[in-house]
Amino acid sequence: MNHRSGFGVQVLLLAALYLFLYGPILYVIYVSFQIDSIWPFPPTLTLEHHTDLWQRRDYHAALWNSVTIGFGTGLIATLFATLAAMAILKYRSPGSGLVAGLFLAPLFIAPILIGISSLMFSRTVLGMPGSIFGATLANSTYATAFALLVVLAQFARYDWRLDDAAMVFGARPWRTFWEITLPITWPAMLGAFIVSFLLAFNNLEISFYNLGATPTLPTLAWGALRHGISAELYALAAIINFAVFALFTVLYLLLRLGTIRID
Amino acid sequence: MSDCMLRLQSVTKRFGTTMAAESVSLEVGQTELFALLGPSGSGKTTLLRIIAGLDAPDEGRVLIGGRDVTRLPPYRRGIGMVFQDFLLFPHKTVAENIAFPLKMQGKSRAETADDLKWVSQLVRLTGLEERYPHELSGGQKQRVALARGLVSRPSLLLLDEPLANLDRELRKRMEVEIRRFQLELGIPFIYVTHNQEEALTMASRMAVMREGCLEQIGDKLALYHRPATAFVAAFLGSPNTFEGDVVGVEDGRAEIAWHGHRFWSRAHDGLAPGLRAVCYVKSEKIAFASSGAALAGRLRDTIFKGQYADYLVCLDDGHEITVSAAPDLCHRPGEAVGITWAADDGDAFPAVGKE
Ligand SMILES: Nc1ncnc2c1ncn2[C@@H]1O[C@H](COP(=O)(O)OP(=O)(O)OP(=O)(O)O)[C@@H](O)[C@H]1O
Ligand SMILES: [Mg+2]
Repeated sequence: MNHRSGFGVQVLLLAALYLFLYGPILYVIYVSFQIDSIWPFPPTLTLEHHTDLWQRRDYHAALWNSVTIGFGTGLIATLFATLAAMAILKYRSPGSGLVAGLFLAPLFIAPILIGISSLMFSRTVLGMPGSIFGATLANSTYATAFALLVVLAQFARYDWRLDDAAMVFGARPWRTFWEITLPITWPAMLGAFIVSFLLAFNNLEISFYNLGATPTLPTLAWGALRHGISAELYALAAIINFAVFALFTVLYLLLRLGTIRID
Repeated sequence: MSDCMLRLQSVTKRFGTTMAAESVSLEVGQTELFALLGPSGSGKTTLLRIIAGLDAPDEGRVLIGGRDVTRLPPYRRGIGMVFQDFLLFPHKTVAENIAFPLKMQGKSRAETADDLKWVSQLVRLTGLEERYPHELSGGQKQRVALARGLVSRPSLLLLDEPLANLDRELRKRMEVEIRRFQLELGIPFIYVTHNQEEALTMASRMAVMREGCLEQIGDKLALYHRPATAFVAAFLGSPNTFEGDVVGVEDGRAEIAWHGHRFWSRAHDGLAPGLRAVCYVKSEKIAFASSGAALAGRLRDTIFKGQYADYLVCLDDGHEITVSAAPDLCHRPGEAVGITWAADDGDAFPAVGKE
């Protein structure tokens, strides 16, 4: 086979794949800057939708609620996932597989079921009305499973005998974690935090059932959809995508500059 | 032992169906360099991990300085250890790695600096302090591991094959130095190796391990010259093996018939006339003899080893025997030679598993 034509095919495939992944997102960003969002051709640029969105107070509250739920879930899920992964891999025992399985099982439960059942549980058993706190806890049950997957994948490559070495040289368990385990494996925990933050931030079903009238970005957007796709939803999607791109660019630059090392 | 520092009392450890340690009892004195020798998988690392507190024994007790530490976690035992695959902390520099035990002891900056300087000179690491482990050669890593084990002047130092990755010259030098540290520090070293020369060079006493059991334990010369079991006899030195029939046993000696030849050797438990026996004779204990030789053959080849040579003697009936002797004996290939050894230089054991 001709080497160069093979190369051309690869480039084409790659371009097609990227178009598939990013086409819809780029389209949304494009539309958010157009006056006519139903048929945005030919292009007529405007910032109107973005300024409209900025003035909608309910979106501010929703953003704040989403960030709170995302952060809370990120912290809880990362903490639980780290502890669970250490139990499974560091203190390996015949029951480790079962322990891991029970932690990962929520992956197979539809989020909407988690939403409904956690609401009923906190209402009936705990007597708690829906709240941000309840929504964070309910999101954490789901996100912990994903976070555990991320942490397990990285911890599986960690040599736990380094912890043994630290203990022989006088480090107590906490000190061992702080001096050895954490500095080497923190990218796993950062990854778990980002994944569970995004899951909770973007979550509709679980948050919706647990929050009632309190808005988050997804529940507000979902509510707005009932009146057709309004232009400010395009602006919202565009801004969130920008934020995510910005975050990844910063992470990438930090990695390149060597401030963060992932070995 | 009056100055016993470490005592293991029938320590047993199983991994599933594997017996990694089987009723191991051991005493190591205050100023001893004790070698633990055994083939791969015989349970040497497991035993060290039990002493360090990293694995709990299924049965038995561990005593350090007379105190029962069986249930004590590793960080309370005050032991130093040099791990088989170094286990240097990858995110810490050489200096931080070596200083880690001092940091855990809460030593002051000045004390740490003094100890670092002392130990870096001792293991010749000066100038590498700011490097990270992945920037070091295998031998340098090993020396960092050694320094980290020594630096806190522990009450007991466990060394798991600490010289396995060094070149010959550095190994010879480190062997001498490890012995010197041990004398200077006045603490017991438990030195694990599967290299018998290393064990024989460095140790005062040693034990040979096999499949989780201590086969024999004692003075290194006793183990070498007076093996108590067939395994030890076969494992130490490079012995010739003769499997034959016991003709007679008397006075602690046995007469063995081997392919039409007969010779005497020291008899171990369980030998009786008519049984099969395996007799081990170390190659350097066999000598060339011009008259009165026990066996006759021809020299097939000479393998020059430096300080000595291995002479491969092919007996008239086709069996081959190795004789180690001075390299300058002027025997030529094809030359007829006679060989002999003293009765006390052979060790005969009952043959097992072959009826
Ligand atoms: N964590 C473990 N789980 C299961 N089996 C183990 C474990 N650790 C050791 N073993 C087994 O116990 C036996 C002794 O192992 P050990 O590591 O102590 O051998 P060793 O004498 O140090 O060998 P080497 O010279 O190769 O280092 C081996 O059969 C090994 O497979
Ligand atoms: Mg080992």
